Amino acid sequence: MKNELFIFCIVFLPILGALALPLVGRFSKSLRNALSLLFVLSALFFSCLLIPQALSGKPIIFVKSLPLGFNLSFTADALAIFMACTSSLISSIIIMYSFNYISHYENQDEYYSMVTLFLGAMMGLIFSSNLILLYIFWEITGVTSWRLIGFFRQKQQVLKADKSFLVTVFGALLMLLGFLMIYQQTGSFDLSAIKLAGKTSPIPVLALILILCGIFSKSATLPFQTWLPDAGVAPSPVTALLHAAVLVKIGVYVFARLFIVTFIVPDFLRVLVVIIAALSAIVSAGAALLETDLKRIIAYSTISQIGFIFFGFAVGNELAVTGALLYILMHGLAKAGLFLCAGIVEQNTKTKDITQLGGLIKTMPITAISFLFCAFSVMGVPPFGGFFSKYLVFAGSIKAMPFWIVLVYLFGAFLTIIYLFRVFNLVFLGEGRSPLAREKGPLMIFSVALLAFLSFVGGVFIYYPSFFAKTAAVQMLGLVR
Amino acid sequence: MNIKILFLPILLPFLAGILCILGRKQRIFTEGISLIAAAVNLFIAFVLFGKNLNFNLPWLGFGIDVSFRLYHFSAFIILAAAGFGFLVTLYSLFFMRAKEHLGQFYAYLLISLAFINGAVLADNLVVLLFFWEGLLMSLFGMIAIGNKNAFKTATKAFVINGVTDLCMMIGIVLTAHLAGTLTISKINLPLGLGASLAFILLMIGAISKAGSMPFHSWIPDAATDAPLPFMALIPAALEKLLGIYFLARISLDMFQLTHESWLSVLLMTVGVITILLAVMMALVQKDYKRLLSYHAISQVGYMILGIGTAIPVGIIGGLFHMINHAMYKSCLFLTGGSVEKQAGTTNLEKLGGLGIKMPVTLICFVITAASISGVWPFNGFFSKELVYDAALERGLLFYLCAIAGSFFTAASFLKLGHAAFFGKASSENKQVKEAPLGMLVPMIVIAAGCIIFGVFNSLPLKHLIEPILGAKLNGHHFAGMPGNIKLIIISVIVLVAAIVNHIFGVLMKGSGLKALDYIRYAPILSGIYNKAEKRFFDPYEIGLKVVNLVSALSWKIDRGVDWVYEKFSVKTVYALSMQIRNLQNGNYSLYLGLSIVSAALVFLLFFAGL
Repeated sequence: MKNELFIFCIVFLPILGALALPLVGRFSKSLRNALSLLFVLSALFFSCLLIPQALSGKPIIFVKSLPLGFNLSFTADALAIFMACTSSLISSIIIMYSFNYISHYENQDEYYSMVTLFLGAMMGLIFSSNLILLYIFWEITGVTSWRLIGFFRQKQQVLKADKSFLVTVFGALLMLLGFLMIYQQTGSFDLSAIKLAGKTSPIPVLALILILCGIFSKSATLPFQTWLPDAGVAPSPVTALLHAAVLVKIGVYVFARLFIVTFIVPDFLRVLVVIIAALSAIVSAGAALLETDLKRIIAYSTISQIGFIFFGFAVGNELAVTGALLYILMHGLAKAGLFLCAGIVEQNTKTKDITQLGGLIKTMPITAISFLFCAFSVMGVPPFGGFFSKYLVFAGSIKAMPFWIVLVYLFGAFLTIIYLFRVFNLVFLGEGRSPLAREKGPLMIFSVALLAFLSFVGGVFIYYPSFFAKTAAVQMLGLVR
Repeated sequence: MNIKILFLPILLPFLAGILCILGRKQRIFTEGISLIAAAVNLFIAFVLFGKNLNFNLPWLGFGIDVSFRLYHFSAFIILAAAGFGFLVTLYSLFFMRAKEHLGQFYAYLLISLAFINGAVLADNLVVLLFFWEGLLMSLFGMIAIGNKNAFKTATKAFVINGVTDLCMMIGIVLTAHLAGTLTISKINLPLGLGASLAFILLMIGAISKAGSMPFHSWIPDAATDAPLPFMALIPAALEKLLGIYFLARISLDMFQLTHESWLSVLLMTVGVITILLAVMMALVQKDYKRLLSYHAISQVGYMILGIGTAIPVGIIGGLFHMINHAMYKSCLFLTGGSVEKQAGTTNLEKLGGLGIKMPVTLICFVITAASISGVWPFNGFFSKELVYDAALERGLLFYLCAIAGSFFTAASFLKLGHAAFFGKASSENKQVKEAPLGMLVPMIVIAAGCIIFGVFNSLPLKHLIEPILGAKLNGHHFAGMPGNIKLIIISVIVLVAAIVNHIFGVLMKGSGLKALDYIRYAPILSGIYNKAEKRFFDPYEIGLKVVNLVSALSWKIDRGVDWVYEKFSVKTVYALSMQIRNLQNGNYSLYLGLSIVSAALVFLLFFAGL
């Protein structure tokens, strides 16, 4: 019973807390900020408490029936707990960063409330083992991200927020159609029941494709990718939270949850996912090379890296799935670091155009080094964590995929090195074109340094996350040890 | 002996490097730390030499273990790397004194040493790749702390090596898939189709680390931009040792490369192309360091050619050439450094007549230049003769290319020596003095090594090189004077021809520097050289052009998709809603009709049970 309580705390503390935050904000701003961080940290804390359970290999299942055939059901297996730890860890660092970043803007009550609500909904989505519940949390994340992207109220920002909302909701509705088709086939929304039913009669392919559309729209994969770079108009902590660490990983997570754990997926669909993800990885990496807006480049980079994660999951053997899970963690840490560094640069120089920047390593040494370390991790340079995730994904794929597909992803990895160095050189090295602004905000600098440090530690002590990810992969694939 | 000692050569330099970064403000502190660390590292290497140790610790699963293997070959490379590391550190104490970023320089130097030790010791391919790719960071850092524009060269070096390291990563996963293990000492694959692919991918990583064509183009740029001790240590010595070490491992142990294989021909072809093209570029350089850097590329060709022959004499020659090259090339760079430090420039047009003022530097230069040109009795002569012997056995064309490379090498060093140390001293060089003792000692030690390895060549051959092949030699020995007298005669003729050519060139143009100008401005060649100097043939630039094409195309696709969202769907919705609005025209009969149709639909849906 203790563990069930933990799950409830993880999900509902942030959600209920989020509703209280605007009220608290009337009285004390710093108390509101602290509470917001506390709620997210509590999600992290309770997720960590679940780790021993995850490693033991026995999932925690909680079901409460509700009228009309619905039920409130949560499952905490290794995959869910891994994901919960990753998301809440990165989110807490981002909220800490926000204390400095957001402090001089309007609508702070809304901001903290929405961020906390978002995290709670994300946690709910991770643990829910019922398609309708999953859909509800999915849409809450959609609505909160719409408000967060539209944090600044100029016309341009509001339009881009609408765009991202429309695209993701469009995908989500297609996904809902897919869920209904599954209900028609199996008579249940419950994942374990669907899994059982799927063994005798396969899930209709159309339903799988509809669900894939929803997943791709949330994870900004070709052809639903363009809302993600556009959402760069949001404040930097928001872009870090949505683009890097958490929101885009929802799609990937649901892919893992449904397509690997629950459904039996025909092979051609796996190959289709691999090819779409490859196209997405190459196209967005190429676009990142021509883009001149700092945050948009990093956003394109996210799209490209998400392709690698899909690749790992779609390959679907133990190596590749472990790699993909590690990829979620390592990419989340590093990419959040990149976005937050971009936030420091943007806020102090008042520009995002990399052709206007340069030479900032002299005045922003910690930001520059953190950016470089995070970039190394994304490129997959050891001893940073990204190296291992990239290696495992490739090692798994070579066993299951034709060699030319591996080469396509290899090309994507080449491009990653080139576009990240282009950004780093233009922003931090060479001649300073803009006035050389100093880095400000101790918590902001601390946050990016912490993320860079975690990327490094994650690589050096890879044993622990890798053991966790491996346990999750074994459990997901139903392998017996 | 405690097995954990194997961690020492990795951890000790690494931690010392971190200390250097942390204490970078105190010059004496960083210098002291790095000299001590380099010395202790050398001591450890001595202690480890001749021992066989295996260490294995399960790590990530999937066959990824922390496993190290100290045996003859790895101990030899570590000893050599530690030796160069110590000497170059000693040299840098004097050379780098007034320079910026001192702490970073020593830190990267020590971290490079640590990672090279790790890569050489590794007996698991993932561990090897971990250290191998980790070198990218110190490579980038070391070049980037050079002059103002050095970061561009650093990026170039990083991108080239990063891309080839990724190829190697794919090679490793493919090898592991085929062999079913990641333990290097357990892999022994026949070269089928898949294994050939894996071999090529691993080979790309190895020869790129060694600086062979077509992965070479960052080296000449680094020669002008990066701090000089970097050149003497990394591209001249350590990367050659590491790259050729791995090339030897894959062709000797991990894959069954025989001389019948087409991969052997591929390797030899890469070798001779590298020899010839790079030396042709070296001929026309007008900068001391840049000229040397092209030779650092060209000489790799001999090693690859030797190992690529896949016959014992060639492999022995290639490996012997590896250690010889590391010696004379790093010493040559060090002489370049003392010229730079004392005369303030390495531009050959501004140098001249330094020989009298810097006699020790001159002597070291002459010895090492003679070694690289293959003059008896210096070390380069013996290793080159072994490679020639093997090349001739594999095909006359390979031999001819190799010997032609030798001719141009000798010619360009005659030009370099003449232009820098002889001839008239320019007015700026009047006050030049000999370099300080701390810089001379490493040069003298290495130059002496070149003589010892030449005159007493059985010493390195019997104790260092031949045990690497062990039983594969069938009891053959390659020490002493080469057996094939004809080849020696041809080599001597080539050297004499180079001297005659030099005299002829000097007489024609009136200066040592311009002795080779007649080649530079020869009819067809001059056009090619002009293009080469504009980086027209730089594989990196060509690669970037391809990447830019891809990215332009990607940009179009991305914008096309965005157009669907931003314009197309918006306009479609507007157009549709206009149509629907037109329906709402107040016409009573239309509304009535629509209502009846809707009612019928509702009825059908809910009551007819459709």
